[in-house]
Amino acid sequence: MESRQTSNASANRLQFLVGEERGLRDVISEAEVLPLLRGAVRAGAFAAALADAEGKVLWSHAAPDAGEQGGSAGLRGPAILLEGEPVGSVLVKGEQGREEFLKGIAVMLTAAVNLLVGSNLKRMLTTEIHTTVVNQSYEELLETNRKLAASEARYRELAESLEIKVEERTAELKKALARLLQQEKLASVGQLAAGIAHEINNPMGFVTSNIHTMQKYLARFVEMLQFSRDLVAGAPGEAERERFAGKWRQLKLDMVLADVDELVSQSLGGAERVKKIVADLKGFSHIDDLGETVADLNAELDRTLAVLVHEIPPGAEIVREYGTLPGFSCRAGELCQVFLNIIVNACQARNAGLRIVIRTELSGDAIVIAFTDNGPGIPQEFLPRVFEPFFTTRPVGQGMGMGLAVVYDVVTAHGGTVEAGNSPEGGASFVVRLPLSSA
Amino acid sequence: MIEYDAEQKRMVLKLVYYGPAMSGKTTNLLKLHDLITQEGRGDLMVLDTTDDRTIFFDLLPFFLVAPSGLKIKVKVYTVPGQVRHDATRKAVLQRADGVVFVADSQLAEAANNFESFDNLEKNLAFVGIDIEKVPLVVQFNKRDLKNVASEEEIARVWGPTGVPVTTASALEGWGVVETFTKLLELTYAAIDRKYRLLEEHGLDGASFVRQMTNVGER
Repeated sequence: MESRQTSNASANRLQFLVGEERGLRDVISEAEVLPLLRGAVRAGAFAAALADAEGKVLWSHAAPDAGEQGGSAGLRGPAILLEGEPVGSVLVKGEQGREEFLKGIAVMLTAAVNLLVGSNLKRMLTTEIHTTVVNQSYEELLETNRKLAASEARYRELAESLEIKVEERTAELKKALARLLQQEKLASVGQLAAGIAHEINNPMGFVTSNIHTMQKYLARFVEMLQFSRDLVAGAPGEAERERFAGKWRQLKLDMVLADVDELVSQSLGGAERVKKIVADLKGFSHIDDLGETVADLNAELDRTLAVLVHEIPPGAEIVREYGTLPGFSCRAGELCQVFLNIIVNACQARNAGLRIVIRTELSGDAIVIAFTDNGPGIPQEFLPRVFEPFFTTRPVGQGMGMGLAVVYDVVTAHGGTVEAGNSPEGGASFVVRLPLSSA
Repeated sequence: MIEYDAEQKRMVLKLVYYGPAMSGKTTNLLKLHDLITQEGRGDLMVLDTTDDRTIFFDLLPFFLVAPSGLKIKVKVYTVPGQVRHDATRKAVLQRADGVVFVADSQLAEAANNFESFDNLEKNLAFVGIDIEKVPLVVQFNKRDLKNVASEEEIARVWGPTGVPVTTASALEGWGVVETFTKLLELTYAAIDRKYRLLEEHGLDGASFVRQMTNVGER
């Protein structure tokens, strides 16, 4: 666009046309011609004049006393040529009978005017064309300069964008590597969890079943004991009754009978809890799910919290503000990892008095899960970097800086977004947004 | 065309000798000046030169009058061939009615010829002249020298373009008037199409050319 304007400008500048037609008046001026005419008069002519091609006098000069002297009729010199064309002639008047002398003056005057015309024309042509050329060359130089500047800018931009591209690719590769690492870790954790779960499930099965059987047997023992007691109480023989009661007291059977049911129930409860933990672990690892399943994310959050129970500092308060969520088609294991990483991150934010609020809601056609803690928040300068792989503020050995990078990767892979920020109260907040449609 | 004034019955045409540096453009004009009789032409005006190289242009004017009274002035120009005078070439080329491209026949000059012709195409476009329509004659000059491109080679290259090609030795004076004649024929045809020189001014091509190329007896 710019260059087009420029070339238009130089085209416009080419106003001067080589070859334009000129008249005598365009080429010579009165100030140049009058001295020549005066010279002719000084040489002896009464009057001298310069006329154009039509014979019209352009300039003339006469001796002061020319009028009194009368003199000859006008004598016309040869044609004055401009670019080879006759454009006028000189007229000379003088003494009667001196025609030859006057003719000589006319010829000389004509030669002088011709010389003047010729050199003026050359000067005009060269000066004008020179000015045009200089202006135009200047325009062209300007344009060359502009083009050079533009191409320099383009190369600079290329070089810069190349650097950015390299950085982008490097970051992508880093992320991909991190993701691979994490997936492998996830897979091995999952396998381990599944293996342990299987191993625990088997003994837990018969332990539970045996406890149930034992509960039944115990009931029989208790019943038998009661029966024996009642029987002894009604039987004759003071001494036997006394011995029975003494033994009963010695064995503290009143207390045992009162406690035994509770014990067995508690054991059963414990076994149930072991079963649940194993199930949670299996569920969390989603070792059985291949590909996507439809999950209830509230339940997945609970499952994650159950697995995390020992990571959560004592006295910490977990506030669950769950909204009603539709089933979400996803790789649930990966999302559990996301929740786990965010919650673990929050747990490290503060030791005593930690409070984590987990809020879920359906907003438009996306599920929004917000995690807010009451820790110190994220320093402003770290905000743009928290999702970078290997970015960590913790001392070496206490985390690789992979947790939030995996969060970012998994959420992005689910077509969602995750934002890190600080809540108005000061703690860190992570908002995961998962669109229902794209999952 | 520089000027056409129907009232004043005046027409001024411009012909341009273009070509690489030292190909003999000025020599062409000098020979035309020498060969064509004083009748109907003006003097050759050679603007300042440095080291015998044209830096502005040369001008040779011709005059003729059509039977209708139309006065026709034909100004023949050369351009400076050196690359650095491109702006001057543009200025001279403006509103040209016909162009002779004077090529240097020497084999070593082939690249310069090519470059200059490329420059001609560009500058014609710049001043708004269609190279397909402008009367154009290519003259291979310096045929008197050795190591020149053969006529077969020239025909092979230029034949397909349809551009008329002449050969000349401006230094020896042959081929110069022939080249000029060819350009005048083409120029007459182009001007006649637009200004009806024959129908309105009674000027036919043959007499147009004859009046401009009146070679004196020597």
